[in-house]
Amino acid sequence: IEEYDRKTTLVGHQDRVWVATAHPTLPLLATCSGDKTVRIYSLASTNFPLITVLNDSHKRSIRSIAWKPTGDLPSIALGSFDSSVSVWGQENSDEPSSEWSFLATIEGHENEVKSVAWSSNGYFLATCSRDKSIWVWEADEMNEEFECLSVLQDHTQDVKHVIWHPIEELFASASYDDTIRLWKEEDDDWACVAVLDGHKSTVWSTDFEKLSSELKQAYQNNENPIHARLVSGSDDLTCRVWKRVNIIGGSASGNIPSTFRSDPVSEEWIEDSVLPAAHTRTIYSVSWSGLSGRIASTGADGKIVIYKEENRPENTSEWVIEKYIERSHGVHEVNCVTWVTKGEEEYVISAGDDSLVNIWRV
Amino acid sequence: MNISSSPAPSLVYDNADSDMESVNSSSPESEYEPIDSQEIYDLIATISDPEHPLSLGQLSVVNLPHIQVIDSGNPDEMAEVLVEITPTITHCSLATLIGLGLRVRLERCLPSRYRITIKVRAGTHQSEIQVNKQLNDKERVAAACENEQLLGVISNMLATCK
Repeated sequence: IEEYDRKTTLVGHQDRVWVATAHPTLPLLATCSGDKTVRIYSLASTNFPLITVLNDSHKRSIRSIAWKPTGDLPSIALGSFDSSVSVWGQENSDEPSSEWSFLATIEGHENEVKSVAWSSNGYFLATCSRDKSIWVWEADEMNEEFECLSVLQDHTQDVKHVIWHPIEELFASASYDDTIRLWKEEDDDWACVAVLDGHKSTVWSTDFEKLSSELKQAYQNNENPIHARLVSGSDDLTCRVWKRVNIIGGSASGNIPSTFRSDPVSEEWIEDSVLPAAHTRTIYSVSWSGLSGRIASTGADGKIVIYKEENRPENTSEWVIEKYIERSHGVHEVNCVTWVTKGEEEYVISAGDDSLVNIWRV
Repeated sequence: MNISSSPAPSLVYDNADSDMESVNSSSPESEYEPIDSQEIYDLIATISDPEHPLSLGQLSVVNLPHIQVIDSGNPDEMAEVLVEITPTITHCSLATLIGLGLRVRLERCLPSRYRITIKVRAGTHQSEIQVNKQLNDKERVAAACENEQLLGVISNMLATCK
């Protein structure tokens, strides 16, 4: 187990940084903080210059941010403890442009919004809150109109985090009620298709496995593959990998409308493995790399842990700890870890209670 | 380990590892002394109970034997403080408020390397698990601390602290 050789630190936030997240296709990094601002940096050059700061957007902490994966110009959704969500976008096509403008406020949650996430096709925005609900919104291309399609209230406690599958119209929610739920559209409404039960305390974060080019090809050929995996991190100090093993009903049953089917859409997910124990305090964040397939986790103990999957005989595999960084933000807690790919290089970006964002070269 | 040779732009600095930070922020020798449970007790015993005209120490809500500190004294290492409170009645609806008051007091007084855990003592509250979960959920605590009304109540509780 070796330590990383170098980090770069982005200074500027005045309070704890909750989330750092890179745009899925453009070299942009956004960070959000208890200081009620979002900072946007360029990942195009090695000194990561600040592009702009989104000020005066929310009255309380900005807890989460999500880049819209589609559109001619980059845009981003912000979720705040002030119970609202706002959407911001770059004004013109200069590259990179410091002119960003406010596009919309989305209101509906009763209290703190904890997480926001866009579907990969940019059609849907999912938001979740301490009010125990998840709202699915349909976005227009201009990000001006957001229509609420569904209010999902199956979780019995705060919903901490939402994230979409890299291709499918499927998302996962993680909750203070110790469960993870998976959701799919069914006849213009959204329904829970699976409950992942296994964590012994709050699930803070999940991330889907990114898809290899073969799997993407299979999706494009409409072969409806079953394969999907999800990693989760929890207050119970474990990270678990879950695997989809069956899809029941829905498109798998042909074109019969669900009102005439006896079986509503559901999915069978099983716990595939528990990652090797590495954390001594709450795990706040997990991230699955699209390039190397590695998983990173971090949390209140300040460690960043990198796991890799090793192939074993007879088509089995095992997760092992590849590297870790102790005290990645000094004596402070770390709220978020995320993988960023730049060409063939991978970075891990972490956000801490020390108001700093660290970029680790892997 | 490899330190970047490029000049550091204003918004960015590079360093070899987190140990560099401690070298830069070398502290006076007194800060190397570990904090003990008596010091924690002194910080929180004078907090006022939200409904009685007495302090949490006088009401035996906080008790010295129920405070645990794990601290090497090294300012570069995390340290842990565990406080177990004893609510005056098992259905005390203010247990979470008292716990939050304790947390705010300790977070304001202790260096940031302290990880604080606050629990109700086993068997002293009918909703023990829920109360403990809430008191130690970072996000809920952070959101509660942005609630002006709640902060007002807490600052009244803390007004009696020196």
